[in-house]
Amino acid sequence: MNDLNQSTLDQPKVVGQRTPRIDGEFKLTGRAGYTGELSIEGMLYGYPVAATIAHGTLERLELDEALAMPGVVDIFHHANFPRLHRSPNSMGHGDQVSEVRLPFEGERIYYHGQYVALVVAESFAQARAAAQRVVARYRQETGAISSLLDGAHDSHSEGELLKDAGTRRGDPEAAFDGAAVKVDAVYHIAAESHLQMEMHATLAEWRDGGSRLVVHESSQGVFYQRNAMARIFDLAQENIEVISHYIGSGFGNKLFMWPHAVAAAGAARELGRPLKLVLPRPQDMTSGGNRPASRQRLRLGADRDGRLSAVIHDSTTETSLVDRYVDACGSATPSFYACDNLAVSQRILALNHGTPCPMRAPGEVSGIFALETAMDELAVALQMDPVELRLRNYAHKDPESGLPWSSKQLDKCLHSAAERFGWAQRDPGIGAMRDGDEIIGYGMAACTWFAGRQPCQARVELRADGTLFAACGTQDIGTGTYTIVAQTVAELTGVALADIEVKLGETSLPAGPLSGGSMATATTLPAVAAAVRDALGALKEVATGHDGVFAGCDADSLTVAEGTLSDGERSYRFAEVLEAMRLSSVNGQGSSAPGEEKKQYSFRSFGAHFVEVRVDPGISRVRVSRVVSSMDIGRAINPPTARNQVEGGIVMGIGMGLFEKLDYDPRDARLINANVADYIVPVHADIPEIDVELLDYPDFKFNEFGARGVGEIGLTGIAPAISNALYHATGKRYRDLPVTIEALLADHASA
Amino acid sequence: MMDDSVHSPTRREPPAPTLNVNFTLNQQPVSLDVAPNAVLLDVLREQLGLGGTKKGCDHGQCGACTVHVDGQAMNACLRLAAMCEGQHVTTVEGLSREGELHPVQQSFLACDAFQCGYCTPGQMMSATALLNDPRIGSDDAAVKEAMSGNICRCGAYKNILTAIQQARATLADDAASQAGEETP
Repeated sequence: MNDLNQSTLDQPKVVGQRTPRIDGEFKLTGRAGYTGELSIEGMLYGYPVAATIAHGTLERLELDEALAMPGVVDIFHHANFPRLHRSPNSMGHGDQVSEVRLPFEGERIYYHGQYVALVVAESFAQARAAAQRVVARYRQETGAISSLLDGAHDSHSEGELLKDAGTRRGDPEAAFDGAAVKVDAVYHIAAESHLQMEMHATLAEWRDGGSRLVVHESSQGVFYQRNAMARIFDLAQENIEVISHYIGSGFGNKLFMWPHAVAAAGAARELGRPLKLVLPRPQDMTSGGNRPASRQRLRLGADRDGRLSAVIHDSTTETSLVDRYVDACGSATPSFYACDNLAVSQRILALNHGTPCPMRAPGEVSGIFALETAMDELAVALQMDPVELRLRNYAHKDPESGLPWSSKQLDKCLHSAAERFGWAQRDPGIGAMRDGDEIIGYGMAACTWFAGRQPCQARVELRADGTLFAACGTQDIGTGTYTIVAQTVAELTGVALADIEVKLGETSLPAGPLSGGSMATATTLPAVAAAVRDALGALKEVATGHDGVFAGCDADSLTVAEGTLSDGERSYRFAEVLEAMRLSSVNGQGSSAPGEEKKQYSFRSFGAHFVEVRVDPGISRVRVSRVVSSMDIGRAINPPTARNQVEGGIVMGIGMGLFEKLDYDPRDARLINANVADYIVPVHADIPEIDVELLDYPDFKFNEFGARGVGEIGLTGIAPAISNALYHATGKRYRDLPVTIEALLADHASA
Repeated sequence: MMDDSVHSPTRREPPAPTLNVNFTLNQQPVSLDVAPNAVLLDVLREQLGLGGTKKGCDHGQCGACTVHVDGQAMNACLRLAAMCEGQHVTTVEGLSREGELHPVQQSFLACDAFQCGYCTPGQMMSATALLNDPRIGSDDAAVKEAMSGNICRCGAYKNILTAIQQARATLADDAASQAGEETP
């Protein structure tokens, strides 16, 4: 009998196997309750009134007509909203927020979409109708900064240089000056919207005479929200519960709380009734986070054999006038290629936007676009195959920390993806490959994302009804966390998945991590495993105790398999062990945290994307027709959901490369395309053939599951692979994203 | 995972003035007083407690609220509830029959054709409509074109396409075996 109790997860039976999502049926039948569709007796509806200017002052609010509309209960604004406190906004202390400023703090308007009022009514339709009758009078000022890329902020000395955000080794400037072959180029990426399908939503209910607050929020981090709300409403953390069972995805903008949640909870407290606020899509886009635009200058120096002698990566990204968000574009650069002389710098420029926030692979995806396009430019200058250039500069240990990699298979990714793609058939001549009216371009890029872990706790119950229960306060944002937790419990107990219940997304559960940074898997599963083992220990104690089914036996001699305990001769189901002692359940606690391994190894995932584009010069149309990728992510706990993450990242990368751009009016910094039709994202018809391979090299130096996480890496490297393929097709280097049809038209017109 | 439907059973009645509207919802007759300006999507979600139909934009741009009205896929956010008089409305809650998942739901589960699940009801309602629409070709390109009104920001498009084509095969097999039973 295989003893699961001793399992080291070397040869797992459930972990690593294709497992349909255990929450799938709820999502597919409409029974999964996302925040916006939850309902509480006596609930009110909020609808925001948002600033229509980006720079100036709110002079007057005319509310009489709106207040007289049917069903309107109240309208909150700067003159009557309760005075609350700000959150300290500390990542380390767990109370970080996305925007520090509270709603309705004053008359000053810093960005288009800033909330100026909240209409509260008995129904959603009434609240919306009344919000449209609120008249706000503004004194608009000139001088709004609309974008880092507005043409007026081109200088690399614009913005504030962040002293602690850079890194440096060797003498990069001298090495660059003396290099035989150089690339010196500037790259621009437009601001993007997360455009997660479920808008930000809050349902706030005060209980026990206003001493306790229960908040349902579409959140990637319920504990951060609880802690921030405790500071803001001056309550003990224990008196606040934040719940997020189902999340219509986040991509980073639901990591940390936004002011709408404070507005909803504040209004609910004032009115003594539960209140639901679902942001309208325009406010979700103006005021619920964005990926800031970036300008990056990349300087690469190399010898004639293609060995890098200098890498200098200078970035500037946008922040708002009310917060200091840093999108660290250069954070992957120091570890990417072997190079002794390197400098990375970061600046931020404050402008009249809602505060930016992390968006899937924040910083690194932008930096990798610049770096991997520059590497392609270097390959062209050297007349070298771009795959070969990357292999020549392969970092066999982490050049930044000097530590060995825990496991790095980038070379295998490059070779495998190139072979499946048919890279060897590439004719490197510009526009040399054609199919009818279309020019075919081949491009590639390497990609990476760091691997991290956070502290985590979990709880597991073995129950007398034969079921198992696992709980952790992390969230499932659609990545499949519910399912991999159940797989872990099944793996270590042998109990069928159908008999395992998983509860996530509540602050009343053991503290779990943010669903962000691709860290949830490697963080959560070791804690769940520890809790399972603790529960099995408790069960054995019961079994071997006085009157237990194995009374007198040594607890350590019992083995676990298929939901039973055995001493080699007799075996009893968990439920029988409990029933014999008249117990309803035994309980196990587990926790895990990153340990000494970070001092011994560097942990990163790597991958390679190969992209085929087709350009029809007659109509200036470009499409991505094929993507072949290989990913080195450690072990995939549930291969279909892991592959789905990479495929989704590829789709988002096609959006970044060809479509996505938040358009701010250069005259007044208003967001022009704050809707789902004018902000363009990939749809079904845009999707190419996608072939994703997940290499299977478990990273046991990172954790016993061998998993490094997979949510973000698929997005990194897609945009440069597209722009490199476009260069191959057209001979034109596209350094600005997105590469729009207008850009292609302009080039053809001037050609 | 949790079945959160228990949280949303409340029928909320708006104050007068209202219109009475009678229609068939998921094969059950419904008689309802609705505000004249009430949108079908909000009536489903807020008044009838059917949260499966999602709101992603409220402007007919994302497809998350797709329902069937007399068998046609439509955006519930672009339709007043009062317009549904005498019509047959089907939502995702009406897709499965007697506890058994519809072949489209089964194939979405088997193919992992979703991540967050928020656009999924709309994707499945569009998929079931196009599988019944003789004007839409059965090849991948035609399906992708017909599905392009349903945005999936998680990017599960590849698996959605696979799931739809798999459901097409299942439905064809079912139809063939039924025909076989009828003509022994």
